[in-house]
Amino acid sequence: MIHIPQQTLEFLGSSAPFDLLTEDQLNHLASTITVCYISKGDAEQILEQQRGSLFLINSGQFSVKDSPEKTRHLSEEDYFGCGNVLHKEDHLITMTVDSPGLVYCIPAQTFEWCVSVQPGIGSFFRHYSAEKIHSEQLDDSTSIWMYKPVHEALAQEMISADLNSSILTGVRLMAKHCVSSLVITDNQRLAGIITDRDIRNRVVAEQVDVQQPLSSIMTTEPAKITHQRTLFDALCMMTEHNVNHLPIIDKDSEMPVGILTATDMIRHQRSNVLLLVKALSKATSMHELSRLSWQLPQYFSKHAKRLGDFDIAGKVLSQATDIMTRKLITFFVKEHGAAPMDYCWLVYGSQAREDQTMGSDQDNGLLLATEPDEQAAQYFADLAEYVCRGLDKCGIRLCTGNIMASNPLLRLSVNQAIKEAENWVQSPTPEAILNCNIFLDVRGVAGNIHLLTQLHQARAPLFKQTRFLAALTRHACKSMVPLSVFQKFSYKKGLPKKDCIDLKHSGVAIINDLVRVYSLANGLTMPAIPLRLESLMNQPELSSQNVKNLRDVWLLLNRLRWRHQTQNNAKDNYLSMSDLSSIEKYQLKEAFRVIRRTQQAALFKFAGGSA
Amino acid sequence: MWQKFNRWLRPQHSIPPQWRDKRLSEIPFLSIDLELTSMNLADAKILSIGWVEGKGNQIQLQSCFYQLVSTRAPLHQSPVIHGLTADDIAQGEPVREVLEKLKRYAQSHIWVFHCTNLDMNILQRVFRELGLPLPTIVTLDTLTFGLYQLTRHLRPPPPNSVVLPVCRARYGLPAVPAHNALDDAMATLELLFAQIQKFSPDEAETLASLRITKAVNVFHSE
Repeated sequence: MIHIPQQTLEFLGSSAPFDLLTEDQLNHLASTITVCYISKGDAEQILEQQRGSLFLINSGQFSVKDSPEKTRHLSEEDYFGCGNVLHKEDHLITMTVDSPGLVYCIPAQTFEWCVSVQPGIGSFFRHYSAEKIHSEQLDDSTSIWMYKPVHEALAQEMISADLNSSILTGVRLMAKHCVSSLVITDNQRLAGIITDRDIRNRVVAEQVDVQQPLSSIMTTEPAKITHQRTLFDALCMMTEHNVNHLPIIDKDSEMPVGILTATDMIRHQRSNVLLLVKALSKATSMHELSRLSWQLPQYFSKHAKRLGDFDIAGKVLSQATDIMTRKLITFFVKEHGAAPMDYCWLVYGSQAREDQTMGSDQDNGLLLATEPDEQAAQYFADLAEYVCRGLDKCGIRLCTGNIMASNPLLRLSVNQAIKEAENWVQSPTPEAILNCNIFLDVRGVAGNIHLLTQLHQARAPLFKQTRFLAALTRHACKSMVPLSVFQKFSYKKGLPKKDCIDLKHSGVAIINDLVRVYSLANGLTMPAIPLRLESLMNQPELSSQNVKNLRDVWLLLNRLRWRHQTQNNAKDNYLSMSDLSSIEKYQLKEAFRVIRRTQQAALFKFAGGSA
Repeated sequence: MWQKFNRWLRPQHSIPPQWRDKRLSEIPFLSIDLELTSMNLADAKILSIGWVEGKGNQIQLQSCFYQLVSTRAPLHQSPVIHGLTADDIAQGEPVREVLEKLKRYAQSHIWVFHCTNLDMNILQRVFRELGLPLPTIVTLDTLTFGLYQLTRHLRPPPPNSVVLPVCRARYGLPAVPAHNALDDAMATLELLFAQIQKFSPDEAETLASLRITKAVNVFHSE
């Protein structure tokens, strides 16, 4: 047997999907590999000599074009040439070497062998090469359940019988498990299905002998769906083929894994989150409101655990919180009469930006038309107290930092609020910046929104002042992304697990801060990050590529946080590396690099280059 | 005694003509590492040996070789370093058979070490003890090479800066487990490729041009 260096086996064995291989298989794979040190001078030559291989980067950084799509920036643990080995193509690979390093070349033949012994490897690369790592659009879809993969919707394990079994055996099996359909297999592969209706029409009505084999009455070649397709696809197929039962088969092995019924579909539709939100807006009492609200986290942790679900979940949670707030105000007004003057209920932070998570607490305040007299002041104090307590009952925690309308300092008149902003701008000390940052992402949720517009108009020119922007920028650059000089993840001590990264403070919050600086510099008042970035797209300060990168990074970090919170039933922001696939680790690293570059660019632009 | 020993071992710097003007990218390298019973040149025994071939910045892992060597010599404290136990060693091959295999590469490859003098002194001594004549061998030393590239910027070099892992980190190569002969041979070869790339990014240089680094040695047949 050929001896393989331990370092090589360890590297291969920790790189998905080759970690699926057994020790012996890994040894065989390694023995066919050529390790290349690729530098500027010989990249072209080596790529030519290793043509047709799958490449896995061990060290160094390369900008690679291995498909008709755009150039990708790759480093440690990344693959290229996937398209060639998957589709047996011979697409020319070109690269520029950003920093030279070691690349493992896996011959096409070995790749095929790996797929034959471990089909999961094939599906990994089919997924990998199709994945648009950095270009997923914000999905405005309004029905999460529709995009759930069918295999997740399966209510119970598959009930099946061999096609040579008797009809009686099959029917008894159906009765025993209380199912309306049966998967018929031939040598474990899908041969057909029978349903309640078939038994009625083809057996009882025709007086067929129940000792006949199942194959005599089954529907052969039924419409079927592969396991990773969505419920939406399934619905389309059911409608198209006019069937109520859809067998699900595994995409790789082609073995049947279950059957999806029209009843399953209805069950999932019933838990549609939008219905829940609609119900919220129809609630007539605090009790009803809080009862419905508490279903939200349950809904999300049950039905929206996937990465992409964040895109809409953040919005839905914020909308739901908005609705709760408005409902609570209505309840209060019903009991205590209308407000003595115009006011606007403001929300700050994540609720304002509409990227709320399950861990978000409430951040809100009141903006009043004029300074209230004693009686009016008492009215608003009571209103604020009622709403904040009410939100807490609905599962939106009280703010530990006391950023709430129940705090008298956060019930200012428009004039007082303008004055406050002038103070921030005149003496932008680090403490002042720390305090005012939260109030700069603001949205009006109830009352007279025009008051907020007035405030925005008065504040916009103040916030454009260079000294203020410089101070904000320095604040945004104080937090460091968790990457060492060698581009490795660095872990802070004192977090719950050793390999944790605080996605909020060393990621999402930095982007929020940076985007805020650019937005204020351009007089943008809307708080949502995707909207801000869209508007910044046409501004000269940030190139459109930078804007796109920032949006992708922001989405990625939020999605990872969302999955962490829903899957681990957590409210914190500490993402453990062990929950990540190797691609995600790479994406995360790349994301932090983008943040670091943006910090440097912002310092240069707004703070004269110094932190 | 040691000085006398050293004098006739001292390599002379005339590179044989078949290597002298060969471009670095065309030279077949054999990176070798030994695990020893002690650091004492006069009586250290070889416990294991690993090597791997490379050429033109490419390493075919098929060429990897690793062999434990049977020895009756006491292990002293060395298991602490290499992790080999007396039981492992007993499974080994006789040193003669292993070195006969190595000898086949004497003239076809340039031998690469991280610290040539230590390993070559011992190899020469063991070859001699076995009565196996060695032809002229040309070697490249990644330690000296690294020192040359380091001291052009820093002088004197910081302590510990020449050990293999630190050396590799300087060239942006990944961290690897140390002290298995094959792993170290592989790590050394990767390091050499990084050093050559830094020395001559355009690939045009020859072995003779590397003499300035003092990393090239020639060990003449005895």
